[in-house]
Amino acid sequence: MQLGPTGPATIRGKLGAAACMLLASVAPAVARADPSGAVTQVDGTLLLYGEQSRTKVAEPTVRVTRLQPSGRSLSGQVVLDVMTGATPTGAMPPGVVDSTAALPPDEAPRVQTMTAASGGGGGGGSEHVPGPGDIPLAQFHDTRVALDAEWHEPITNIFGSTLGGYYSREKDYESVGASGKLSLDFLHKLTTLTLGGGVNRDHVFPSGGTPLPLSDGTVLHDERNAKDVTSALVGLSRVITRRWLISVNGSRTYEDGYLTEPYKVVSLIDPATGYTTGQITEGRPSTRQRTDVMTTMVYHFTSDVLHLSHRYYWDDWGVRSNTIDLKLRHDTGDSSFLQPHLRYYNQSQADFFTFGLVQGEPVPTYATSDYRLGPLSTATVGLTYGFHVPEQPGEFTIRAEYILQFGKGHPDTAMGVQQDFDLMPPVNIGSLVAGYSVAF
Amino acid sequence: MKTVRLLTPANALARAAWLAALGALLTGCAATKVKPWDRDLLAQKKMQLVTHPMVNAIDEHIYFSKEGSTGGGDVGGGGCGCN
Repeated sequence: MQLGPTGPATIRGKLGAAACMLLASVAPAVARADPSGAVTQVDGTLLLYGEQSRTKVAEPTVRVTRLQPSGRSLSGQVVLDVMTGATPTGAMPPGVVDSTAALPPDEAPRVQTMTAASGGGGGGGSEHVPGPGDIPLAQFHDTRVALDAEWHEPITNIFGSTLGGYYSREKDYESVGASGKLSLDFLHKLTTLTLGGGVNRDHVFPSGGTPLPLSDGTVLHDERNAKDVTSALVGLSRVITRRWLISVNGSRTYEDGYLTEPYKVVSLIDPATGYTTGQITEGRPSTRQRTDVMTTMVYHFTSDVLHLSHRYYWDDWGVRSNTIDLKLRHDTGDSSFLQPHLRYYNQSQADFFTFGLVQGEPVPTYATSDYRLGPLSTATVGLTYGFHVPEQPGEFTIRAEYILQFGKGHPDTAMGVQQDFDLMPPVNIGSLVAGYSVAF
Repeated sequence: MKTVRLLTPANALARAAWLAALGALLTGCAATKVKPWDRDLLAQKKMQLVTHPMVNAIDEHIYFSKEGSTGGGDVGGGGCGCN
């Protein structure tokens, strides 16, 4: 993402264009029929996402799928992300408001005056001066376009393959990827084994150049940084009873290349007072191996359907997490349903996560203050309402969710005035997704 | 630095449920009882593992951008500068 001036008119224009694109793509869907028996399905969604005092996102998505009677299908999808707002820089609360009041004359000001945050790369972002106990934020705006295509081919009646390709681009990030999956049904077609793999060749090109890790922001070079991602998946799903289905998936992902967040910083702290005395850029290892095991259960009660899943995740950066997700679909009539949703997520911090470094002590090999690698939890409550309009094709869905993200913001290692501050203040997030799906 | 192990009661319950599910998955006898003519409920869209893939993808993207973990059920898809 890149920081820069955020004009309301510009954002409004982009959102308007996005909404028009969504509607224009879905509207013609209603009136055609194909004598070959093939079906065209059009799905559209619009996401509106907002964090309190932080990031706002609008994301329209359109997907078109052509389904052949043989089971073959080809689909294409376009996503537009319009993002704006503010994001934490990683710095701690400065501790003082006056940038010169408590400073020896030969030291730099303590208060982080963030200009063009995303780390100080170019772009001329708006200036933000935090209060003494406030987490420093940086303004940003960006637009991301993502395209993907998928081709599914049944090879026999028990063996199928899926190939996919992906491309996305934003101001400082580009991603190109491909994936493939094979699935095999056996044991009376009540058990399915899935094997999959994917590769991504991504590039990061920070605004203003790539900073030297763990430095004062000195620009290392102005070139693209490669980031390769390789992933593999093994999955087994099984029908247990007429009402009960279970799936277990394990996946491993290996990342190699530029994995540092170029705009994030780590504060330097005066151990006596807890005031920040400066900041350095963060630095992360150049490889990461992630593994997860996810179990999903679907159970059909008399009418309602329960979806329950658990994911355990671990990686070689020291992050461990558990995620529990529960959805209960309740039909409210022949053509409508309600689906409450609960999710809880809890992670441990990465080995090299720190809220700040002590001024004057040796700098470690790796360090980040990115809260997403910190001791973090997320709780989600949501509700989906889906319905068909009588005499009209297609299904509408509207989903609203509230997400609370919080962490252990009073670490034992806090020094001086930092002990009075919440270093990971709760973040309130709301999202709304409107969707329409029609086949013809 | 020390890695924190997560063994809260909720996580312990989740692991117990996970082991029970794995046991059921690996037990072959139950599955053969479901005959083709008994698959009416299983054929419903609401019994799919992912009923609304696009909304699910939106969720995955949100959580990927806000948390330190990723994965769960699929491969491929694209990278993002958001995390």
